Amino acid sequence: MSDQPTSGRGRLSRRTFLRAAGVTGAAALGPAVLRRRAEAQETPSPIRPDPAAKHGGTLRYGVLSAPAHFDVHQSGTVANIGAQSPMYDCLIRRDPRDGQSVIPDLAWKWDISPDGKKYTFYLRKGVKFHDGADFTAEDVKATYERIVRPPKGVVIPRSSLFTTVGDIVVLDPHRIEFRLTEPRPRAFMLGSFASGWNIIVRKKSLDDNQGNLRQVMNYPGTGPFKHVSRQDKEVWIMERNANYWNKGLPYLDRLEVYHLAPFSPELGSSFLAGKIDYARLLDPVSWRKAKEMPNVTAVAFNQSVIQAFWMNMKKKPLADPRVRRAIHLAMDRPTLVEVVKDTAPMQIGGFVYPFHEMSTPKAELVKRLGYQTDIKPAVQEARRLMKEAGYGQGIKGLDFVVRDIQTFKLWAVAIQAMLKEHINIECNLRTVQTSVWFDEAAAGHFDLAISAIVSSLMDPSDYFTAWYGQYGPQNYSGWNNEQFQALAKQIERELDDSKRKAMVRKAEDILEQDPPLIPIAYEQIYDAYYNKVKGQNPSTFFGIYDVCRWDNVWLAQS
Amino acid sequence: MRKYLARRALFALGTLVGVSLIIFVVLRVLPGDPLVAILGVEGQASMTPADRVRIMHDLGLSDPLPVQYVHWVRDIATGKLGKSFFRGDTVADLIFHRGPISAEIALLALVVSWLVGLPVGIVSAIKPNSWADNLARSAAILFIAIPGFWLGMLIVLGLLFWFGYKSPIIIVHFWQSPWQNLQIVIGPAIVLGLAQGAYIARMSRSCLLEVIREDYVRTARAKGAQERHVVLGHALPNALLPVITISGVLLGFVLGGSVAVEQAFGVPGLGRSLVTALIERDIIVVQNLVLLYAAIFVVVNFAVDLSYAWLDPRIRYA
Repeated sequence: MSDQPTSGRGRLSRRTFLRAAGVTGAAALGPAVLRRRAEAQETPSPIRPDPAAKHGGTLRYGVLSAPAHFDVHQSGTVANIGAQSPMYDCLIRRDPRDGQSVIPDLAWKWDISPDGKKYTFYLRKGVKFHDGADFTAEDVKATYERIVRPPKGVVIPRSSLFTTVGDIVVLDPHRIEFRLTEPRPRAFMLGSFASGWNIIVRKKSLDDNQGNLRQVMNYPGTGPFKHVSRQDKEVWIMERNANYWNKGLPYLDRLEVYHLAPFSPELGSSFLAGKIDYARLLDPVSWRKAKEMPNVTAVAFNQSVIQAFWMNMKKKPLADPRVRRAIHLAMDRPTLVEVVKDTAPMQIGGFVYPFHEMSTPKAELVKRLGYQTDIKPAVQEARRLMKEAGYGQGIKGLDFVVRDIQTFKLWAVAIQAMLKEHINIECNLRTVQTSVWFDEAAAGHFDLAISAIVSSLMDPSDYFTAWYGQYGPQNYSGWNNEQFQALAKQIERELDDSKRKAMVRKAEDILEQDPPLIPIAYEQIYDAYYNKVKGQNPSTFFGIYDVCRWDNVWLAQS
Repeated sequence: MRKYLARRALFALGTLVGVSLIIFVVLRVLPGDPLVAILGVEGQASMTPADRVRIMHDLGLSDPLPVQYVHWVRDIATGKLGKSFFRGDTVADLIFHRGPISAEIALLALVVSWLVGLPVGIVSAIKPNSWADNLARSAAILFIAIPGFWLGMLIVLGLLFWFGYKSPIIIVHFWQSPWQNLQIVIGPAIVLGLAQGAYIARMSRSCLLEVIREDYVRTARAKGAQERHVVLGHALPNALLPVITISGVLLGFVLGGSVAVEQAFGVPGLGRSLVTALIERDIIVVQNLVLLYAAIFVVVNFAVDLSYAWLDPRIRYA
C-alpha cells in the first residue's frame, strides 16, 4: 500500500498545488533568478565544505617558516606566508583547488564599473577577528591604504601593483570601493587583490603599532586557524578557528608548521622518515625518493621566480646590445638545467614566464636561437655578433658576482666555461653572501652577476616594470630601451586580452634582441605529501605565496 | 691563592673585553646588508633612502660605533644581551631555550671522549706496538681526520635509508622527555666525542708510556702489586694531568665543532643559531653568541688550571 496521499477528481492535490505554485513562483521570480544567476556567474562561489571530508587531526607541515619579522605585507618570503597565511583571509583569493581562479573570500561579491575604474567589494557580515572584534570595511580600508601608500619606514613590495588606486572609499560597513585613476586589465587587478600577501588585518592592530607589524607576532586575523604557540626556528602551532565564517571549515583541528629550510637534507629526511605529513620545496633527490614511495604523492609546479644573469650596462662592451645578445646566445640552456638537476628543478624559458598564456609557446621557443638543444647555430650567430660589435677577439677580465647559493655556484662555473669557449669572454668569479650580492647589484659593483628574482603575479605587467623598467627596482643592469618602455606602458593599459598578447609577443622580440638580463631558467617547486592528506593539489599552482591556508585540507586518518 | 684567583679573573676579564671588541668591530666592518634579510630581496629593492635611514635608526645601527658598543655592554649588564634584529626576541631567551641542548651535547661529547679515549690510550700504552695498539692508533688518526659534519651527515643518511629513522625535529628538553632528548643529543655527542676521544687516546698513551717507565711504577711492580693496580692506581693518576689540560682545550674544539655538527644533524642548538644569525647578518645575536663561547672557553680553562692543585698535591698557587 502506497503511503502517498490520494485525491479525488477535481480536488487540488498537494502535489498539483506544489507544482502549480512552483511554476507560478518561477514565472514571477524568473527575471530575479536569472539576474542572480548572472551575478553568480560573475562572482564565483567560495570554497564549500566537502561532505566526504573528515574532520579532526593534526597536519604536520614542513616549510621555511622562520620569518625575519612578522609583517606579512612587508615580506617577500615564504618564511612569513608559509606559516602565517592560515591565520588570515584576503578580500578575494585564488581557488585552492586550482590555484588560478579568483573566488570570493571576505568579499562575497564584487562589481567592476563598465569603465573599469571602480571596484566595489561587498563584505561578509558577522565575520569576527580572532580577538572577537567585528570585521568591517574600515579594516579593509586601513589594510589597503597601507599597502597602496605605505607609511614612513614601511616597505611593501606589492605597492607597485596598486599604483592606479586613488581613493579607497567605505560606502557602508560592509561595502568598499576602490577608485582607480585609470583602468587596468581586470585579470591584473583581480589577481593583485587575490594575492595571498594582501591579508586583511585589523585597523586597530595597525593604529596601535604605528602601522608597522614587524615585531608583532600575533596580530589578529579572521582566518581558519588561530595562533597557539610559536618556537622560533622550530614550530608554529595553530588550532582550528571554531568561529570561522565559512561554516564547516577548516577540517583540521590543529596545524603544526615546522621550520625546515628549502632543499635542505633536514626537510627531505623529516618527510621520508614520516616526521611531517607535507613537505614544501623538497630537494630533487628526496623528491624522487618520495615519488617512489607507494603512500606518497609527489608533485611539481611552477614558481614565480626567474633565475637570471645581469650585465652591467655602465661597462662599455656590455652596453652594446650585440654583445648582450651574443652572451644570451652563448648560453647552453639545456645543459644549464641539467647541471643543477640534483640541486633544484628548473625549466627553460624566455623573458616572459614560459607557462603564461601570453608568452611564446614552448614548442615555438625551443626552435629559437638560444633555446635549442643543438647550440651550434646560436654560437655561430653569437660569434658573428661579437665580431660585428668589434669584440671578435673576445673580452677579458670581467667581474662575475655570484650569489652564494649552490645553484648559482654550479651555474657560474658552467657559464664561465660557456662564455670562454663560445665567444672568448673571460671572467673572474666572485662568490658573495646573499645580502652582499644585493648590495653589489644595487650599487652596480659588477660586470656580470647571477641570482634569482620574484614577481607577485604571472601577468607581465607586474614584472615588466620591476625587472625591465628603466627605474625598476630589479633592473640591476641599468637597462633602458625606449621602444620597450612605451610598449610596456601600452600593455599595462590595454584591456583587450588578445591585443595585450600581441603586444607581449612584440615586447619579447625586443628583449630577445636587446636583452636587459639573460633568462637562465625558471624554477619549479617540488612538494610531496602522504596520501592521507586530502584536498590539496598544487600541480596547477603558480608559486607558493597565494594558496597556503589549509582550510580545505583534511586527513583521511586523523 | 686569592691573589692568584684575582689575577686570573682579571686576565679572563681582559680576554673577554678583547674578544668583544674584536667581534664588535669585525661584524660592523664586514660587508652585507641586514635589511636584505629583514625585508626580503623585493622589499629591500623597493626601499627609499629615507626608509633605509629610518629602519637603520630603529635597529640602532645608525648610532656612532662607540655608542653602539656601550649599548651592547649595557645589554650584557642587564642580562638580556640585546634583541635580535628580526623578531624582537632577546638573545637571553634564545640562550635559555637552546643553550641546554648545546651544553648537553658538549658535556656528553666530553664523556664519550673520555670513555673511548682513555681505555684505548691505556691499552695502547701497556701493550705498545701490538696489533691492538696499531689498530687504536689508526682509528685515532681516522677520527681526527674525518670532518665531524661529514660523519654526521653519513650517520643521518644511514639511519634514514636503512632504518627510516630521524631524530626529533624540534627541541625536546631532558626534563620534558629524557628519551626524546637523548635521541637529539646522542648523535652529535658521539661524532664530536669520537674526534676528541682520538686526541685523548693519543695523549693518554704518550703520558702513560712515560709514567710507566718511572721508578715508582717499577717499585710497585717489584712489590708484587697486580698489573691492573699498578697501571690504574699508580701510573694513571699521574698521567692524567696533561689529559685534563687537553680536555679543557678540547671543550673549545667541541664548542667550535658543534656549530657544523649541529647543522649536519639538524639539531636546533646554539651552534645552528650562530650559523643562521651569520647568514641573516643578525649581528646582535652573533656578537653575543661568540662572546658566550669565548666566556665558556675562558671559564673552563680557568677551572682546569684550578683543578691541578686538587689533582696534584705538589702544585701550589702563589
